[in-house]
Amino acid sequence: MNRKVIISILILLALGIIFLVVLDIRKNRTDARPDNPYALGLEEFATVDSALVKYREVLDLELNETEKRGIAFGMEKIWLIGDDYLQVISTEGEQLMKRELPGSPTCITIYQSDIYIGFTNLIRVYDYEGNQKSSWASAGDSAIFTSLAVRDSFLYAADAGKRRVLKYRTDGTLLAAFDGKREPDALHGFIIPSPYFDLAIAPDGELWVVNPGNLALENYTPEGRLRGYWNKTGADINGFSGCCGPAQIAILPDGSFVTAEKGLVRIKVHRASGELESVVAPPQLFANGTHAPDLAVGSRGEIYALDFDRKMIRIFERKKP
Amino acid sequence: MNRKIFLTQSGRWVLLGGLAYLTGHIFFKRKVSASGKYVWQIDPFKCSQCGRCATQCVRDLSAVKCVHAYSLCGYCDLCGGYFKPNTLSLNTGAENQLCPTGALTRKFVEEPFFEYTIDEELCNGCGKCVKGCTSFGNGSLHLQIRHDLCQNCNECSIARLCPSDAITRVPIETAYQIKGDFINPALIKPKG
Repeated sequence: MNRKVIISILILLALGIIFLVVLDIRKNRTDARPDNPYALGLEEFATVDSALVKYREVLDLELNETEKRGIAFGMEKIWLIGDDYLQVISTEGEQLMKRELPGSPTCITIYQSDIYIGFTNLIRVYDYEGNQKSSWASAGDSAIFTSLAVRDSFLYAADAGKRRVLKYRTDGTLLAAFDGKREPDALHGFIIPSPYFDLAIAPDGELWVVNPGNLALENYTPEGRLRGYWNKTGADINGFSGCCGPAQIAILPDGSFVTAEKGLVRIKVHRASGELESVVAPPQLFANGTHAPDLAVGSRGEIYALDFDRKMIRIFERKKP
Repeated sequence: MNRKIFLTQSGRWVLLGGLAYLTGHIFFKRKVSASGKYVWQIDPFKCSQCGRCATQCVRDLSAVKCVHAYSLCGYCDLCGGYFKPNTLSLNTGAENQLCPTGALTRKFVEEPFFEYTIDEELCNGCGKCVKGCTSFGNGSLHLQIRHDLCQNCNECSIARLCPSDAITRVPIETAYQIKGDFINPALIKPKG
């Protein structure tokens, strides 16, 4: 065969291969693929009316790479617990103190100048310099403390492991426990499908406990009797989305609730009666599928959100009208 | 240096580089099959539930199926994997169900808990329930390639288009990466 013919055939073959490769690449480009009939779009729930967003992110404090467990605000400072340490940071981000802890903390709260830290199933009390003042008796092997709140001389501890709230005197004496059952023969009180079980005390002294499985905030008397509740179910912005929530709460000086949800992560403010007041941080500010940030409220009503995934404290302030 | 020496030396270096890469891959990647056999599998922590597993598999009904890690499930009444978002009534009406093939079924356990199971003969691996469960629940539902159905193609047509590179070849000894047993590698901390 003529050499020229062979070369021509080879060139044509090469061109054909190049054409097929280019065609394949173009066809498989992400924007060239046909719509997927099975894709589940959640964009409508992630999009929030900007008029509802009444807070702005004023400062982000980046933290080191170790695991963070919880945040509290007290004595005009930010108190953080991590892997096995207690850390104090100024509101500008300067580290003021870091102390090792004898174990892995799970939750923290501050009352006056005392720091109460939960360690899975026991509570230890520290002074403002990080010195241990007392260590309370264990609440049992299956207890898992996820939140603490103190008022006057009483401490309430949310125990997700045994699905109950424990009431202590601040000297460590266990006074009572209640499980949220509305009648003694009810099958369940607090329903906790995931490891989130939060409680807080409002400025008026009322104890509020999240019942995550009912997507409800429940108000209890100091004796553990249910006094009232409100719940909001729904993936839209007015409700709490998913199986359980809110994952984290904090209470503003005016008694409104700051709530954080998991999965479709968002931070909102609900009035004490339950209506949505405003959005602090819409889902666009968080990566998909991240953890619900832990919350703390400052003395001026500013909101501190501990973003576990980005390892930073995100500070939000209300926009000026 | 003449052309012959240049080509000879280049060839040696390429060969040496290839050997070094192979050795490093064997010793440091650790994902080595003792039997030398590998299969395709989905890393549930990388999967973004895009829905392509249902449409790209060469099998008529995809070899990708939803599996359930019961130890992670909250057994909730309002299940984000079972119900469409913002469903008004929590009943088994088809209009409320997220699964396009009705493969996810629920059974009452005791008030207010329900058990969710997957009918694999109906499941097309679209991952809608997985996305719902991950977005609104505990993420106990996830996708896995069933090896009794998978043809173990030389090049997996789903892996080729997977937007999150969640499908890789894994040793046959660890053919399934079930959540609960399989821990997110990104969360494993080095000791010391």
